[in-house]
Amino acid sequence: MIRFENVSFGYKEEISIIRDVSFHVEKGSITAVIGANGAGKSTMARLMRGLARPDKGQILLDGVDLKTMKASALAAQIGYLFQNPDRQICKNTVKEELEFSLEHTVQDPERKEALIQEVLTALDLDPEAEPFLLSRGERQRVALASALVHKPELLILDEPTTGLDYKECTQIMEYVAGLNQEGMTVVMVCHDMEVVLDYSTRVIVMTDGHVIAEGQTKAIFQNQDTLRKAALLPPQIIGLSQMMGEGFEGISTVAEMADAIEKKAKGGAEK
Amino acid sequence: MILMQDFSFQYASGKKNALENIDLTIADGDFVGIIGNSGAGKTTLTYAINGIVPHYYSGDFYGSVVVDGMDTVESKPEELAMSVGSVFQDVDAQMVASMVEDEMLFGLENFGIPHSEIEERLSEALEQVGIADLRYRELESLSGGQKQKVAVAAIIALRPSIIVLDEPTGELDPRSSEQIFQLLKKLNETYGTTIVVVEQKIGLLCRYVKRLVLLEKGRIMLEGPVREVLKQADVMESIGMHVPRVVSLHKELVNRGLYDGPAPIGLEEAKAMTEEVLA
Repeated sequence: MIRFENVSFGYKEEISIIRDVSFHVEKGSITAVIGANGAGKSTMARLMRGLARPDKGQILLDGVDLKTMKASALAAQIGYLFQNPDRQICKNTVKEELEFSLEHTVQDPERKEALIQEVLTALDLDPEAEPFLLSRGERQRVALASALVHKPELLILDEPTTGLDYKECTQIMEYVAGLNQEGMTVVMVCHDMEVVLDYSTRVIVMTDGHVIAEGQTKAIFQNQDTLRKAALLPPQIIGLSQMMGEGFEGISTVAEMADAIEKKAKGGAEK
Repeated sequence: MILMQDFSFQYASGKKNALENIDLTIADGDFVGIIGNSGAGKTTLTYAINGIVPHYYSGDFYGSVVVDGMDTVESKPEELAMSVGSVFQDVDAQMVASMVEDEMLFGLENFGIPHSEIEERLSEALEQVGIADLRYRELESLSGGQKQKVAVAAIIALRPSIIVLDEPTGELDPRSSEQIFQLLKKLNETYGTTIVVVEQKIGLLCRYVKRLVLLEKGRIMLEGPVREVLKQADVMESIGMHVPRVVSLHKELVNRGLYDGPAPIGLEEAKAMTEEVLA
């Protein structure tokens, strides 16, 4: 879907943020980008959307260099949720915000209306509400709605769950997971390791502008060495399974953990 | 001390009370975590403490809120600011300068801190938050998480007696989030700073605060020492709140009749619980 080839980037020459990064995001995956603050995750997301141009190397979307693509084509193919929703909301009502998103990407009025209604229902939004009078969580949903209302092939989310409560977080992620089932590729920058574990299929680990590991989510979380290098902590149950050691390998959910404990406790009692 | 008595507030733009009949006492030196779903009134509660409600958001204010002996309705926000340091949810809205050092100086100079003390306070706060290397950086060049740390540093440099923080780790990675809470704990223990913090990461919060207040639809639903509140994980789940996975594991083990001890706070206690079941 999208490929980084030896990409380097810095906002100023002396501060390099992304250093010679190469990786590939598989079509149809939900790929999480994890790493410490300042590791370069948001910058990488911006590069992926074409909001910043690499100083070196190239970024290919389905084989086409992003540099050669028109801004309108990029907008049509890639949806993008900024870290701070207030940076992207600009209209007076939720509905106007969504119409604005579709202005250059969908022409047919009926199709437009259908797409808007679908996303309003899915994300539980009031079309007439004024975005800036809504709570942070609601504004986040408005921003997300406008990022994906046109059903882009690739959806990039920069910390989609920040400022959301658990219920809202689950609601948003379930919707995103549903869109992924329909074929949308998702890349999300995320600090909540439980969300990463629950929803992502692949993980890219970043440290200090480098990609230090890439692979299946569970495999990455099992690798204590990688997590340590990236200054990350595993999700709670995986952390517990690692502390317990033998007999608890590969466990990642509450149910699996309870089963393992029960099995071992009863096994021990029988002896 | 923070004393709220039968306090209710409805924003001028709101259709119903954001907070309703709140009776809450937060003693000097307490460390309190505020949890609840979006729209439960958590941010409004912080606004009531630092005086943003009712001074910057008008509305109907009932009952009383007294902070460090000052009635928040009668006191000016700038008077309250001498006692209460605030870290807001939207850090971008909090920043006034273009460089980290200037952002830090803004508060210190406005508070009339003697020049001889400023350098020490500034460098100490940056050091404590772990961002001494960002001192001369432009704020615009920082990541969301780094800005959040700057906001915290700027407040602790002022050494207020009460610090109110609204989701201070929202954009921080797990290690940095842990670091912020370790720092808050240190301030609480060393200087007796009263800390009130709104936080979504309940697992993290439980390991540091002394008490939890659970708000739901503008009312206090649960309140008490952390373990007491966690005992009622079912209540939290019933309103769709996140319960730490090790607490869910505890519930599962209790349901299967394998364990009857209290819910663990953090991984170490979860390990102890597991070992006890296996023993």
